[in-house]
Amino acid sequence: MSGAVGPAPAPLRAARALRRGTAAAAALMAHIAGWAYVAGALFITFDIVARSFLGFSSQATVEVTGYLLAGGIAWSLAHTLFRRAHIRVDVFVSRLPVRIRAPLHLFSLALLTAMSILFAWAAWELVDESALFQAHDNSALHIEMVWPQGIWAVGISAFVVACLVLMLEATLVLFCGRGAALDGLLGSRTLEDETEEALEAVAMAHEGDKR
Amino acid sequence: PSLPPGPPVRISAVTQPLPTQPQYTRVDQAILRDASAQRSNGRVQVTLSTHAERNLAGNEIVRLVRSGQVEIGAGTLTTLSGDVPILDGVDLAGLAPDIADAKRIAEAIIPVANRDLERFGVRLVALYPFPAQVVFCRTPFTSLSDLRGRRIRTFGNSLVDYFTALGAQPVSIGFPEVYSALERGVVDCAITGTGSGAAARWPEVTTHVSAMPVSWAVAGYMVNLAWWNRLDPQVRTFLEATMKEVSDAQWALGEAATRDGIDCNIGRAAECRIHSVAARPMTEVVPTDADRAETRRIFREVVLPGWIRRCGARCGEVYNETIAPISGVRFGG
Amino acid sequence: MIAIVFLLALLGVTIFAAATTGQALPIAEILMLIGVFLLFFGSGVYIAAVLGALGVLTGLMFSDRPWWAFLGQTLWAPSSNFVLVAVPLFLLMGEILLRAGLSDRLYRALNVWLNRMPGGLLHTNIVSCAVFSAISGSSVATAATMGSVALPYFQDTKYSQRMVLGSLAAGGALGNLIPPGITFIIYGLITETSVGALYIAALIPSILVTGLFILVILAHGLRSPMQKPEPLPLGMKIRALAGLIPTVLLILLVLGSIYGGFATPTEAAALGVVGAAAFAALEGKLTFRMLNASAEATARNTALLGLILFGAYLLNYTLTLINVPQALAALIADLPIPPWGIMLCIIALYIALGTFMEGFSLIITTVPVVFPIVVALGYDPIWFGVIVTMLVEIAQISPPDGTVMYVLQGMRKRAGPITDVFIGVMPFLGAYLLAVLLLMIFPGLALWLPSVMG
Ligand code: NA
Ligand code: NA
Repeated sequence: MSGAVGPAPAPLRAARALRRGTAAAAALMAHIAGWAYVAGALFITFDIVARSFLGFSSQATVEVTGYLLAGGIAWSLAHTLFRRAHIRVDVFVSRLPVRIRAPLHLFSLALLTAMSILFAWAAWELVDESALFQAHDNSALHIEMVWPQGIWAVGISAFVVACLVLMLEATLVLFCGRGAALDGLLGSRTLEDETEEALEAVAMAHEGDKR
Repeated sequence: PSLPPGPPVRISAVTQPLPTQPQYTRVDQAILRDASAQRSNGRVQVTLSTHAERNLAGNEIVRLVRSGQVEIGAGTLTTLSGDVPILDGVDLAGLAPDIADAKRIAEAIIPVANRDLERFGVRLVALYPFPAQVVFCRTPFTSLSDLRGRRIRTFGNSLVDYFTALGAQPVSIGFPEVYSALERGVVDCAITGTGSGAAARWPEVTTHVSAMPVSWAVAGYMVNLAWWNRLDPQVRTFLEATMKEVSDAQWALGEAATRDGIDCNIGRAAECRIHSVAARPMTEVVPTDADRAETRRIFREVVLPGWIRRCGARCGEVYNETIAPISGVRFGG
Repeated sequence: MIAIVFLLALLGVTIFAAATTGQALPIAEILMLIGVFLLFFGSGVYIAAVLGALGVLTGLMFSDRPWWAFLGQTLWAPSSNFVLVAVPLFLLMGEILLRAGLSDRLYRALNVWLNRMPGGLLHTNIVSCAVFSAISGSSVATAATMGSVALPYFQDTKYSQRMVLGSLAAGGALGNLIPPGITFIIYGLITETSVGALYIAALIPSILVTGLFILVILAHGLRSPMQKPEPLPLGMKIRALAGLIPTVLLILLVLGSIYGGFATPTEAAALGVVGAAAFAALEGKLTFRMLNASAEATARNTALLGLILFGAYLLNYTLTLINVPQALAALIADLPIPPWGIMLCIIALYIALGTFMEGFSLIITTVPVVFPIVVALGYDPIWFGVIVTMLVEIAQISPPDGTVMYVLQGMRKRAGPITDVFIGVMPFLGAYLLAVLLLMIFPGLALWLPSVMG
C-alpha cells in the first residue's frame, strides 16, 4: 500500500489479518447469495415449464424467490463493502490532501457503521415480532416468517461485523499516521484492482477463442 | 353523533389499498374524514392515506397499527392472516353464499378475534366487505365443473384449496401482472372482486364472469389499543359511533358494488354507477344450484379442514362456537 | 450541483404556491435536506448512509411517531418483493452474456457497420446498448455489460474520454426504456397498468431517443473529425451480422415468452438467465468458474443496489410519515395553471428528485401520489408510464447521483475524476429531455402503437 513506511506495527498487522479473515467469510456468503440467484432462476423457469406443459405450479414462487432476494442482498452486503463497491460520492474527497481526506474516509465509514447497526437492530426486532405473532406467509408452503427474516438479519449482522472490523483497521491505520493507506481500504472503485475485474470478465469471454 | 368542544384530536389513518377505490372516496373520505370533522366542529381531524401512498403491501397493517405509526389501519383479513391466523376464518372460500351471511359472521367474530389481537396491542373496531370475489375467465364456461384443468390465478390458502378441489390449477401471480397474464393466456381465469375486475379493466382481457360469490375479501378497521384506551371517553364514544356508521356504509357499498361490478362488466350502462362500464361487454355466468351445492361440499370437506389444520385446534373450537351456528356447517361433523 | 439548483427552484415554486394558496408547507424540511445533503455530499459519504441519515433526521425532527418501531418492516418489504427479483435476474443474465462473449460479438458485428460514420465507434456504443437493452431489463446491467466490452476498444485512441463515457452512460440509460424493463414492471405494479401495453408504447419513444443520441454523436463527430478506418468489403460486413444471431434469439425468448403467454414480465427475466446460460453452453463457455464469477458479480451488484434501497426506503418512510410527497403533489395539483403546466411541474419535480434519488425509490415514492393527479388531469396512464420511465432513466444519468454513471466510473481502466462522466453525459441528457418534451407535444408517439396493436 502506498502509504506504508517501514514495517507495520503489530496491532495493525493483527487488524489486517482479522480483516482478511472476515473478508474471506464475507466472500463465501456472497457466493452463496449469488448461487441462490442462479437457483431462483432455475426455480422460476421450472415453474413456467411445469405450468405451461405439465399442468402444475409450485404455488410458492412469489414468496420463495422474494426471500431469495432479501437473503441475497443481505448476505452480500459485507463482501460488497470489502470490495469497496458500495457507492460513495467522492468527487471532492479524492482531490483533498491526505491530511483531510483520511479522516473523511473514516467519517464515511463511521456513518455507514452507525447505519448498519440501526438496520441490524431493526431486522432482529422484526424477527422478534414475527416470533411473537408466530407469523407465517400465505404461500402453499406456509413458511414461518422467522426463518427467511432470520437469515436476512444474519446477513445484515455480518455487514455490521464487516463495518466494525474495517473501522478497527482504519482507525489503527490513521493512528499509525498512514492515512494514505485508507484510499486502498475505503476509497471508491476508481482504483485499479476494481477495474481489472471487469476486464477479467471480458478476458474470460476470450478464453478458448483461438486468437 | 356530536362532540363538545375540547382539545383537538389528530388521527392518522391508513385504510384502503388504492386512492381511487369507492371504499376510500365514498366512505373513508366522506364519513371518516369529512363528516367527523364537521360534526365535531373541527375537533376530530383525520389524515387519511392509502396503502399505495404509504408504500405498504397490506400484510403489515397489524404491525403498523401496533407500533403506533397510525392510530387507525385497515386491511383485508386474508392478507393479514399470516400474522393472525384466526382472521382467515371470517372469509373462507365458500363460507358465506350471500352478503347477509358474511355480515353476520363478521359481526360474530369481532369479539373473538379481539382476544387474539389485543395481546398484540391492536383492536378490531369494524369489519367490512369488498365486492364479492368472483371468477373471470378468458374463455367461456357455464358451470364450476368447466373450470377443471384451467389455470386460475388465486391468492390466499383457502382459495387455493377451493380451486384445487374443483380440479383447477391455482397459479400465484402478483395482482398487477394478472391483466397481462390474462391477456396473453399465462392464466385462463383469475379471481377478484366484481368491481375490482371492472376497475382493473379485466373486461378487456376476459370474456366470462361468474356471478357466484366465492368469498368477500372481508377487511377490518383496527385501532392502536393503547391510544384507544387513553382517549377522552367522550371522544371514544364519538369515534365508536363514527366507526359504526363507516361500517354500515361499507356493507351497503359492498352489496351495491357487487351487483354494480357485474353490470359494469357485462356492459349494462344504465345500472353501472359506481365503476366504469366495460367497452367490450362480458357474459355473465349465472350460478346453478349444482354449483352452490358443490361449493358447499368443497367448503365442508376441503376448505374448512384445511384452514383448521393451518390455524390449530383452537380455531376449530372457535369456528364451531361462533361461525357454525350461522353457516350451518360444523367442523368434525 | 444541479440537484441543489433544482431544489432551490423547487423551494421557490413552493413559496410562490404558498403565497397563492396559503397552505402549510414543508419549507424547513426542504432546507434541512439541502443542508445535510451538501454537507455529506462534500465529505464523500456512502449514498445509502446519506439517505438513511437524512431519513433518521427527518423522522426525529419532524415526526412524533416511533418510526423506528416499523423500520424492520420498512426494510424487509422492498428486499423481499417478488417484482424486484427481476433485478438480480437481469443482472445475472448480463454477467453470463458478458462472460460468454456474446456482448462482445454483438459489439463487433455492429462496429463493422457503424465505424465509418462521423463519430465512429461512439455510434457502436449507442446502438449496441440499444440492442442489448432489448434483452436486458436493467440500465445498470446494460451499462455494465456494454461498458466493459466497449471500453477496451477505446484504449490508446484519440476519442474524447468524456464522450466515450457519456455515450456509454446514455446507452445504458436505454436499458429500461427499451422493453423489457424493470421500471415498467414497477410502474405497472403500482398503477395496475398493463406491462405489455407499456412495453409496446415505449417502442417509438425508444427509437426516438436512440436517434437523438446518434445525432448528438454525429454533431460531435463533425465538429472534431477523426481519421476513418478502412472500408470493409460488403461480404465481410454481411458475414459479421452472424454475431447478432444469439442476441436476436434471446430477444425472441424473453419478449416472446411474454407475448406468447408463457411467462409474466418478471418471470421472463428467469427465462433470460437460462437462455443466456444455454448460449454460453453452446459456445463451450459454460464452466463452473464462469457461472461462479457471474454469481459473485450479480450478488455484489444487487447488494450495492440493495443497500441504497435500504437507505432510500428509510428516507421514503419518514418523508411519507410527515406527508412531504403528498403535500408536494397536492400543491402542484392546486397551482392555478393549465394541465400541461402542471405536467411540466411534475416533470420538473421528477428531474429535481432524480438528481439525487435512485430510480426505484423515486418511482415508489412519487407515483402513488402523482398518478391520481395525472389521471384526473386527463392524461393517459400508459403515456405517463413511458414519461416516468424516461424521467427515471434521466435520473440515472443526471449528476451527481446516478447508478449508471457510477458503474461506468468503476470500470475505467485509466483512472480519472467522476466529473468526466458527468460532463460527457450532458449533451445526451439534453437529448433525453428533448425527447420528453416531444412526447409531451405529440403524445401519439407513445399511444399510437398500443391503439393499433389493440
Ligand atoms: Na430493456
Ligand atoms: Na441522478
